[in-house]
Amino acid sequence: MMENVLLPKLAKIVKSEKMTAIERFLQVEVLDKKFAEVFDYQPGQFIEVSIMGVGEAPISTCSIRTKKGVIDLCVRNVGRVTNAIHHLNIGSLIGIRGPYGNGFPMEEMEGSNLLLVAGGLGVAPLRSVLQYALKNRAKYKDITVFYGIRTYDTMLFRDEFYNLLAEGDKLGCKFYLSYEDSKDKQCISLEAEHSERCMCGVVTKLFERIKLSPEDTYAIICGPPIMYRFVVQELTKKQVPPEKIYMTLERRMKCGIGKCGHCIIGDGTSIKYVCKDGPVFTYWDALHTKGMI
Amino acid sequence: MKYVKLPKENLDAFVENLKTHGKVYGPVKIGEYYSFQEINNSKEMSLEYSRTMIPPKKFFLKLKERLFTFNEEKGEYKETLEEEKIVVFGIHPCDINALKLMDKIYIDETPDKYYKMRRENAVIVGYGCHPDEYCFCHSLGTNYAADGFDLFLHELKDGFFVRVGSDKGNAIVSEISELIKDVEGSDIEEFRAAERKREKEYTLELNIRGITDMLALAYESEVWKEYADKCFGCGSCNLVCPTCRCYDVVDNVNLNLKSGERLRRLDSCMLRKHGLVAGGLNFRPTRIERLRNRFNCKGSLREDTLNCVGCGRCTVYCPSQIDYVEVLKKVRGEL
Ligand SMILES: Cc1cc2nc3c(=O)[nH]c(=O)nc-3n(C[C@H](O)[C@H](O)[C@H](O)COP(=O)(O)OP(=O)(O)OC[C@H]3O[C@@H](n4cnc5c(N)ncnc54)[C@H](O)[C@@H]3O)c2cc1C
Ligand code: SF4
Ligand code: SF4
Ligand code: FES
Repeated sequence: MMENVLLPKLAKIVKSEKMTAIERFLQVEVLDKKFAEVFDYQPGQFIEVSIMGVGEAPISTCSIRTKKGVIDLCVRNVGRVTNAIHHLNIGSLIGIRGPYGNGFPMEEMEGSNLLLVAGGLGVAPLRSVLQYALKNRAKYKDITVFYGIRTYDTMLFRDEFYNLLAEGDKLGCKFYLSYEDSKDKQCISLEAEHSERCMCGVVTKLFERIKLSPEDTYAIICGPPIMYRFVVQELTKKQVPPEKIYMTLERRMKCGIGKCGHCIIGDGTSIKYVCKDGPVFTYWDALHTKGMI
Repeated sequence: MKYVKLPKENLDAFVENLKTHGKVYGPVKIGEYYSFQEINNSKEMSLEYSRTMIPPKKFFLKLKERLFTFNEEKGEYKETLEEEKIVVFGIHPCDINALKLMDKIYIDETPDKYYKMRRENAVIVGYGCHPDEYCFCHSLGTNYAADGFDLFLHELKDGFFVRVGSDKGNAIVSEISELIKDVEGSDIEEFRAAERKREKEYTLELNIRGITDMLALAYESEVWKEYADKCFGCGSCNLVCPTCRCYDVVDNVNLNLKSGERLRRLDSCMLRKHGLVAGGLNFRPTRIERLRNRFNCKGSLREDTLNCVGCGRCTVYCPSQIDYVEVLKKVRGEL
């Protein structure tokens, strides 16, 4: 019997924790033992989450696989499906398909410095990149993380990132935090504690704090569409070549496997499916594919 | 290729045999349109048809279909796909080439089971045609089907020159050995002469050389606004296009709120909601971007060939008379 890739596989919620007013962390475990064995995913890949009677939404993995059959998700409540996900209890059944997408080229980047630039919810997929790189620490040179938040309340994975901010160098990475609300008390006190690693402003301001060696650095960006333009500008000024700037894109997706056509972008010379040619693309892809960023 | 001849008087007996391979569909005239409909005998068909409004993609990617049912209480997703054998009789070369393109998309490294199963359960019988003023398949090289069919019939004075394109086609031919004959030298000459003549019947030309670059270079052109102002955004062009395959997905819940079904239906990139993403941001907010996107998608080599087979449907059925070839001539600066 041929496999039906559109038929979701059952999984249950094993953890659901509120992270911010609009974001929740969920841990999901697939039911089928055989599927659990083969279910694996790479940083930058995503799964399609189905809620019976509501619909389906693509959600990135926000961790590397630590236990067979388990995947971690970080979901922002923006609409029908994501709202339903927020209201699931431990033990609730959902459907999943995937993993889909190309993911980040973790092997290609071996032997180089990594610069991760995340804005808002974009930190979720980048967290899996960071976990992967830290687990394989010897394979990479310097690992630097820029995380831009609006206010302390919107900061995701707070304990974890606070730890990295305070002790990151010992844990193998240089972690920088920027915040936009100059009146935010908690952020101000974070800045007072770690002035060299935390500052007020948009995420691109953090470039002032580092020396970047363009010949052996890969940049990896994820955040709201508007952020890409500014971050890419900074990186280009610092002479990071376009093919070493990776970013992950978001489009409305109805299949995740290059069929439904919803995620198609580009022009006659270069048409891409965000779901299967991406969601990870280089800045070079964006330079020759109109409408990408 | 194996070639045989089917005498005209045996056409009906041939259709009778095809019925043993599944429900037979053929081009039928309904009002002023043609449509692939179930037929009982060859006389119900209009084999001299120009084009059907809805292309044969409807047999493989249904206009609307159930993907599966779900039941929350039982905790199950249940596939409800049913197998059905069909024969599609009388498909023109452009539409056969369009199906080959669809195959690249739907039967790739993650094949779509619904589409693939239906393709496997179908017998494709091609039929030679003559162009009208809207056909430009000739320019795209899709006016001849070199493969992609089980049997292909070319009309001769007293019969049909039949190309046998697959083992499935060959099995059918062996079943009806008493109805067919070997081709003779005169049949081959008649077939060749007809093909030579047919090549000269095309009046509409589209220069596709460098079209991908021409489209990219015209990205900011006024052309898109000019036609977007005329476009109703109705999506008819997508529906009738044999290579348009976008679909949308919806979940329906039963009254008990515990069970239901997931449906998919053909969608259109010319509709506003096609380009929406989180937060109400739309990557193709106006008809200008949507029209431009459709032409760039059609005129790309994403699947190694252009995404258009020159069937002329989008021009014929556009309520605003937007002429596909004319738009591309403007893109190139010829008009
Ligand atoms: C590759 C990929 C990875 C993603 N990873 C995450 C993640 O890790 N965490 C997370 O919270 N979100 C992620 N998203 C976004 C998430 O898929 C959408 O927020 C979700 O699909 C919205 O569905 P909904 O039913 O809740 O909203 P709807 O009720 O459908 O709509 C709410 C709003 O979201 C827009 N929208 C609808 N569907 C999509 C869609 N598929 N993609 C983008 N916008 C949409 C609508 O236009 C509307 O403005 C990702 C999207 C992609 C494409
Ligand atoms: S059929 Fe014509 S009017 Fe309708 S969306 Fe297509 S181009 Fe526009
Ligand atoms: S774009 Fe128009 S001419 Fe080309 S295949 Fe589609 S309907 Fe036919
Ligand atoms: S999401 Fe369906 S084609 Fe990409």
